[in-house]
Amino acid sequence: MDLLSNLALGFGVASSLANLAFCLIGVLLGTLIGVLPGIGATATIAMLLPITFQLEPVSSLIMLAGIYYGAQYGGSTTAILINMPGESSSAVTAIDGYQMARKGRAGTALATAALGSFFAGSVATFLVAIFAPPLTTIALKFGAAEYFSLMVMGLVMSVALAHGSVLKALAMVVLGLLLGMVGTDVYTGAPRFTMGMNQFADGLNFVAVAVGVFGIAEILRNLEDEHDRQVMTKNITRLFPNREEFRQMVGPVLRGTGIGSVLGILPGGGAILASFASYTIEKKVSKNPGEFGKGALAGVAGPESANNAGAQTSFIPLLTLGIPANPVMALMIGAMIIQGIVPGPNVVTEQPALFWGIIASMWIGNLMLVVLNLPLIGLWVKLLTVPYYVLFPIIMAMCSIGVYSVNSNPYDLFAVAFFGLLGYIMSKLRCEPAPLLLGFVLGPLLEENLRRAMILSRGDPTTFVTRPISATLLLMSLAILVLVFLPQIRKRRDEVFTESDA
Amino acid sequence: MTSITRRILLGSALALGLAGAAAAQFPERQITLVIPFAAGGSTDVVGRIVAERMSQELGQQIVVQNVGGAGGSLGAQQVAQADPDGYTILMGTVATHALNPLILKQKPYDPVTDFAPVSLLVLVPNVLAVHPDVPAQTVQELIDLAKAEPLAYASSGNGTPLHLSGELFKAMAGVEIDHIPYKGSGPALTDVLGNQVPIIFDNLPSASGHISSGKLRALGVTTAERAPSFPDVPAIAETLPGYETYSWNALFAPAGTPPEAIEALAAAAQATMADPAVVARMGEFSATVVASTPAELGDHVTAEMAKWEPVVRDANVSMD
Repeated sequence: MDLLSNLALGFGVASSLANLAFCLIGVLLGTLIGVLPGIGATATIAMLLPITFQLEPVSSLIMLAGIYYGAQYGGSTTAILINMPGESSSAVTAIDGYQMARKGRAGTALATAALGSFFAGSVATFLVAIFAPPLTTIALKFGAAEYFSLMVMGLVMSVALAHGSVLKALAMVVLGLLLGMVGTDVYTGAPRFTMGMNQFADGLNFVAVAVGVFGIAEILRNLEDEHDRQVMTKNITRLFPNREEFRQMVGPVLRGTGIGSVLGILPGGGAILASFASYTIEKKVSKNPGEFGKGALAGVAGPESANNAGAQTSFIPLLTLGIPANPVMALMIGAMIIQGIVPGPNVVTEQPALFWGIIASMWIGNLMLVVLNLPLIGLWVKLLTVPYYVLFPIIMAMCSIGVYSVNSNPYDLFAVAFFGLLGYIMSKLRCEPAPLLLGFVLGPLLEENLRRAMILSRGDPTTFVTRPISATLLLMSLAILVLVFLPQIRKRRDEVFTESDA
Repeated sequence: MTSITRRILLGSALALGLAGAAAAQFPERQITLVIPFAAGGSTDVVGRIVAERMSQELGQQIVVQNVGGAGGSLGAQQVAQADPDGYTILMGTVATHALNPLILKQKPYDPVTDFAPVSLLVLVPNVLAVHPDVPAQTVQELIDLAKAEPLAYASSGNGTPLHLSGELFKAMAGVEIDHIPYKGSGPALTDVLGNQVPIIFDNLPSASGHISSGKLRALGVTTAERAPSFPDVPAIAETLPGYETYSWNALFAPAGTPPEAIEALAAAAQATMADPAVVARMGEFSATVVASTPAELGDHVTAEMAKWEPVVRDANVSMD
């Protein structure tokens, strides 16, 4: 009954007129910046921090949280419409979402993303409310060895992201891993592949790489061929999913919510894996995996749900431990400190109104988002009819502003240009950008945790198999590997036989 | 353009500017405060509180710009190369103005000749803490434990003040403890809370919530005296006499900034730090207010460089 009275307290706080207003401002802003390519939640929250000085602590955190999950909602819009993911999670949505848009199903894809996100967000919020403290215990059981094995599993899954040649996908993963090595070595402090520029000392900026290989490359490709675009706008028949599509959505959304909720809890980069993991699983359980990469509804519904569920549950380590799971959460901690709240395990007991108020506001915010976004779908789809010579310069300008705003580092803009070109070359060679991004995101985590685990075990590699969680994850990776490669090998043998027959 | 001609041009432009602006009062437009770390960290929090109050003192808006990267070097370098007119200032730290210049082999700026000191604002203690399952209850017991079995400590990264606080501790206690660097305090704390790593050197503000809740046991603060916010936690110096490290935040302008501007900024900073509301907030944050004069900050930088030089050399920390 504790839970009920706590939730009642939370909804009491969150439904005050002022807090409802701040929640609305937050989700509105979040949607807006999510839709604008390149401008992310981190930059926006950093810009708004000074304003929160004047607000009540709970109002300011409700607003900032709204911006964060609102941006997760909005981010899928650009990924689907213009193949421009602003965050690692929407990189997966771009794969099938953009293909759906190209086939004239942009409205369906957007509605699927919005509904899936709403469901996942609501469920994950209740998970936060009920299980936050016990889940925290699990998160703390993850040490360097466990994270290493988790990242191995993520890398193994990345092969499934490919819908063409597995060899090319592997090459892209490796290229991504190498790009992830740019920057200062955490353990020795040696700069690697920075070409002597200390602007790259902290590595390449994810947003710059993502905007380059996906967005800019797509613009370059479209400039070649105006024809494609006609199809995109002409074939739009309806905006909302029909009964059959709703039926297809249910499974992926449920699985995505589960995966996202679990991985979101891990502060060391678990949430990054959520949408990738969901995509892999959907492709595996699908009756026609060949559809993936060509506009599969499940390829949008699953990852979008996973990413939104993860966005909600990543508040668990923040609220119960005072530990940031990502840069946005680090800003929220800053906001709490500015307000005189010491983040840590005591927040739940000392500031129950704050803790439960934020949780209740998340549910209200998710409801606002779906009400806000569904009617907007028609408007977003109309954006596709804007002529190239207007749309592209705007996108380019927005991207540049967005990328620059992350670190105020002009070298990030050079990186966008470089990766735009690289992305274009990759598309000519029929190499996928998604495995590259996954390698880029996972590489540094993989290396950091491998080396940390090895220092902690004093050079003993058996640490990865003697720790039970780590051993389980490695076994699961092995199983996935076998599942992925068996059909490949079989097919390959068939090919060999066919060739020898001929 | 060579740097010499550029300097001359800048200099003459400055002279012209000064002649023209002699009548006008500094500041006549908004000031940019560069914080050389990502938003949300302790330097950022101090910077934003100070910027807000100083804006009122100066009658002009101070805009905070986070230029993170390379352990604070990028932001510091940007201010070192900015126009020396007082409209671009830096929230410097022990990292930007003592440790990085000592550690980096290629020095992007000189902490003494490239900057005009404005005011040393606050000192922030660091803390040595352990997971509650670690048997050691005191600094002495931890030293004994380290002599008996292999231990490891977590820090926010290679070459950070926390890493060097740990190295100074090891050198003075005569023990060997493995250093595990993380990317920032957050992940380091996570692993110590989960007892993946037994020991941590952290900023007191970032660890304080975990210490008061009992999830971490503080063995000692790194300042010479006990911290007012944690009077029960002894100073490490009580066990290892002479041990003293702390982080600090100070305002710097580029070298060559007109003295009038420096004076105006220093006066505003001192007035800000005298405001009881600001002092109270810094106290919640475990930071001690100093609010020095420009000359005192200059001496402080020299003293810090002299103090850290042997520690950096003995710990054999260097970066290309």
